[in-house]
Amino acid sequence: MKGFFKIFAGALAVLVFLIIMGVNQSADASPAEGKSVFTAKNCGGCHLTAGPNTDKTFEDKLKRKGPDLWFAGSKFKLDWLESWLQNPKPIRPMEYNSIEKKNAGNHAKLSATEAHQVAEYLNSLISKDVAEKVIEDGKPNIQGKIAFEKKQGCYGCHSVTKAGKVVGGLTGPSFVDAGKRLRGDWIYAYLKDPKALIPVKRMPTYVGVLNDNDMKAVAQHITTFK
Amino acid sequence: MLKRLTYTVLAILFVTVFFGIDKSFAASAEVNYKWYCSQCHGLKGDGKGVNATPDQPVNPKNHTDTAEMAKLTVSDVENVIRDGGAASSKSTMMPPFDKTMTSEEIKELVPYLSKLCNCKFK
Ligand code: HEC
Repeated sequence: MKGFFKIFAGALAVLVFLIIMGVNQSADASPAEGKSVFTAKNCGGCHLTAGPNTDKTFEDKLKRKGPDLWFAGSKFKLDWLESWLQNPKPIRPMEYNSIEKKNAGNHAKLSATEAHQVAEYLNSLISKDVAEKVIEDGKPNIQGKIAFEKKQGCYGCHSVTKAGKVVGGLTGPSFVDAGKRLRGDWIYAYLKDPKALIPVKRMPTYVGVLNDNDMKAVAQHITTFK
Repeated sequence: MLKRLTYTVLAILFVTVFFGIDKSFAASAEVNYKWYCSQCHGLKGDGKGVNATPDQPVNPKNHTDTAEMAKLTVSDVENVIRDGGAASSKSTMMPPFDKTMTSEEIKELVPYLSKLCNCKFK
């Protein structure tokens, strides 16, 4: 009888141990871990993480070395962040801030563990300027397609896939797999109030050019690019 | 009385400084052109900006083409910059800058374009 209890207690201990390990492994990395990787790698040397951005002039913008991340959690999809950080391919075909030099594709690369942690950190950087659950990501939107291709020529600066071929301009971020990368809510918030998120940029403002419905539709259409 | 005068002077000083700064935010025509237009029309205005990829449906206008540019009127030029290609039955590839630049900045681009094409608009 005593032996049975010993085995039972032992089995229970092993079970508890396994459960704790299991829980621990599936638990997400804390944003704090990611933040320390971000700091150690000096990512803040190129990316702004404490918003808002106070740029006023083109010169202010030209002093920056990389895109802002203070709204990263509102802008990017978490799983995209994690995989991109491990295998960073150019998003904007041209080098940051340049309209002459090609993007050399030399962004820092993180290990799987680091990428997981930094993605969690970036995902925690939420902006109050981006209202959530307005856009239904991935749902086809014909009105948005018309606004994107006909009413405006968004592909003039943003590359897209057309009949299996990458076409379009190079000075805007590529939209080839934008649906994997971007949250529709961010796209809509940006179109609606661009200055709040990116005060100085080469892209024209569409406030008062596209109406609110068209903006929502375009945002949703862009999230269908995969 | 003296206090009031001081406040008035201070207020005037503040407004002057403030507007002075504000005005310096407005960029010159050349700076605006290089920032907004050159991505399509090229830094020299020859229509060879990086967005003019071979698959685009239309090429950006060559602003150095004297004969072609001289066909335009001042209001053609202002209108196409303000409201984009669609509003002047041109391609929507030419975007509207109405909400991006002030109307003064848009007007100031006309003499700059005139310099680029070495022509006078009708
Ligand atoms: C996204 C690319 C793009 C940008 C940015 C752009 N343009 Fe254009 N622009 C075009 C294209 C394409 C055309 C030709 C349209 C056509 O022929 O249908 C054009 C045509 C023009 C024309 C000729 C219109 C006519 O009636 O023939 C003028 C003038 C012009 N652009 C000025 C500007 C100025 C000034 C800027 C900057 C404020 C600018 N463009 C920015 C693409 C662009």
